[in-house]
Amino acid sequence: MSIQLSFTRFALKNLWRRRLRTILTLCGIGMGIGAFVAMVGFSRAFEHEWLRLYQSSGTDIVVLQKTFLNTTVDESSGIKLQMLPTIADDTPIILNMMDLTPEINALVYGWRANSYEFGSLKLTSGRLFRDGQPEIILGDILTNNLNKHLGDTLDIEGSIFNIVGIFHGGSALEADAVIMPIDQMQLVASLQGKVTAFHVRLRPRPLNESPDHYIQRSQAAIEAALPGLHAIPAAELASNNQLVTLAHAVTWGTSSIALLIGILGIANTMAMSVFERTREIGILRALGWKRWRILLLIQIEAAMLGFTGGIFGIIVGWSALRLLSTLPQTASIVSASFPPMLLLEALIIAVLAGLIAGAAPAWRGAQLSPVEALRHD
Amino acid sequence: MTNTHTPQLEVRALQKHYEDGSIHALCGVDLTINAGEYVAISGASGSGKSTLLHLLGGLDTPTSGEVLYNNALLGKTIDLDTYRSHHVGFIFQAFHLVPTLRAIENVQVPMLAVHPNNCDRADRAETLLREMGLAHRMDQYPNQLSAGERQRVAIARALANKPSILLADEPTGNLDSVNSARIMEMLVGIQKSLGMTLIIVTHENDIANSAPRHIRMMDGKIEQ
Repeated sequence: MSIQLSFTRFALKNLWRRRLRTILTLCGIGMGIGAFVAMVGFSRAFEHEWLRLYQSSGTDIVVLQKTFLNTTVDESSGIKLQMLPTIADDTPIILNMMDLTPEINALVYGWRANSYEFGSLKLTSGRLFRDGQPEIILGDILTNNLNKHLGDTLDIEGSIFNIVGIFHGGSALEADAVIMPIDQMQLVASLQGKVTAFHVRLRPRPLNESPDHYIQRSQAAIEAALPGLHAIPAAELASNNQLVTLAHAVTWGTSSIALLIGILGIANTMAMSVFERTREIGILRALGWKRWRILLLIQIEAAMLGFTGGIFGIIVGWSALRLLSTLPQTASIVSASFPPMLLLEALIIAVLAGLIAGAAPAWRGAQLSPVEALRHD
Repeated sequence: MTNTHTPQLEVRALQKHYEDGSIHALCGVDLTINAGEYVAISGASGSGKSTLLHLLGGLDTPTSGEVLYNNALLGKTIDLDTYRSHHVGFIFQAFHLVPTLRAIENVQVPMLAVHPNNCDRADRAETLLREMGLAHRMDQYPNQLSAGERQRVAIARALANKPSILLADEPTGNLDSVNSARIMEMLVGIQKSLGMTLIIVTHENDIANSAPRHIRMMDGKIEQ
């Protein structure tokens, strides 16, 4: 069977001739894509967990100050919410990230003992806490991480709490969290009379009204009843809350730098490769290869580097994400789930990175005059 | 079929200057080469023989003057890439094989420019290499071949797209006498059997004098 030469085979052979350089370049783009996959995957998983947090309890609208960080709402506002006709249920919450041990920090929620939020949790042992008592329930993941058991105590910000129940949470943001009576949380966080937000469940919408319109009408009613506060649909808040947008910004910024380094690596490799192969490009031109074919060959090589580096990066990023989902420090904000679209995005970005990096060397190679290139040493 | 009285290549007032015009490689060359001719071009180093060959092969463009292939003006009526890929086969002194490709793959390189979707490239390359006596060396890389074998691969490559003109720039320059004689025998045999036009640039008098037509170059002009 005779060997058939194709563009792809030719490009592969060109890359394989400098194995070490190709492998190092693949490592560079692989680490860049790996960082992108891990960090963007992390921030998306974070956003996804926020959405699950609201969805699992059936929260439709969140009422809060304009910003989410370090702002509070008067607890008394809840009375006005209950009087609105479209609201079926509302519950105040306090949310904070606290250090439980020098190594472990976790989300700590303050809920009322009769909150509808408990509907999304499954109590695996013990019982629910009682309002006004120094009692807490722990998510099962956090219980394991802290190596605690039912009946043990936990010191939170200098106050001792009894662990009266252990639950399995609806989202990673709950499974690795502490929940205590909201009055106790107000004491711990020095927020007497204040809450972070109200979670609101709406009554079933009228059949002749669209879901969007019903939500908008309810938002308007809440904001009219509570001037200065904002009623935000839960799905919107999940993707736009400051924690999520901050996570997105940081991860995009950091992974962009990593990608840029990867692109520079491919650009350097392709520039070196074209320079070293000047005479060969002259041979191809002398044999009648048109400029665009030379451009195509070099771009195929660059795209191959990007694609292979992308596959390598996806494996690295996926492994990093799996690791993050098991670490006590990060398990509460990232789940082990892996957004499939991220794989496609990472691969497209990797190939595009290769093409961008290869464009200038490919253009230079295509512009070489056959005679000049053949004279090149 | 080749008509040996039909002008295939016509060169009119051809000039080629380098280095901002300070070096005159060709100074007004006029020449007609008929289809199926075997022409040797000789001359001292710097006489302009290789420059003339490059211009005849569409590897370079003249400073002034024109080259016509079958009455089509090179670079104007017929684009140089198409001319090189379809009508001309090149053989170089330094072989110029692609080092990362096996012999059979090197022969397919010109075909990739003309028939990228044709699946018969490997068969054509295999046939050509067999004709060159390299049936047992097809899967070797250039650095595993002797100089004579490399030049035979280069000849097979030059014939890959069935050109009508074969241009050879010092084809025996890197070969010993035995291999030189064999390569020349092959080239002349191909020229005769296929009726191709063969233009050889050489500094070896034996080769130049054995050609039916011998053109001597000096200082960028054809000696009268």
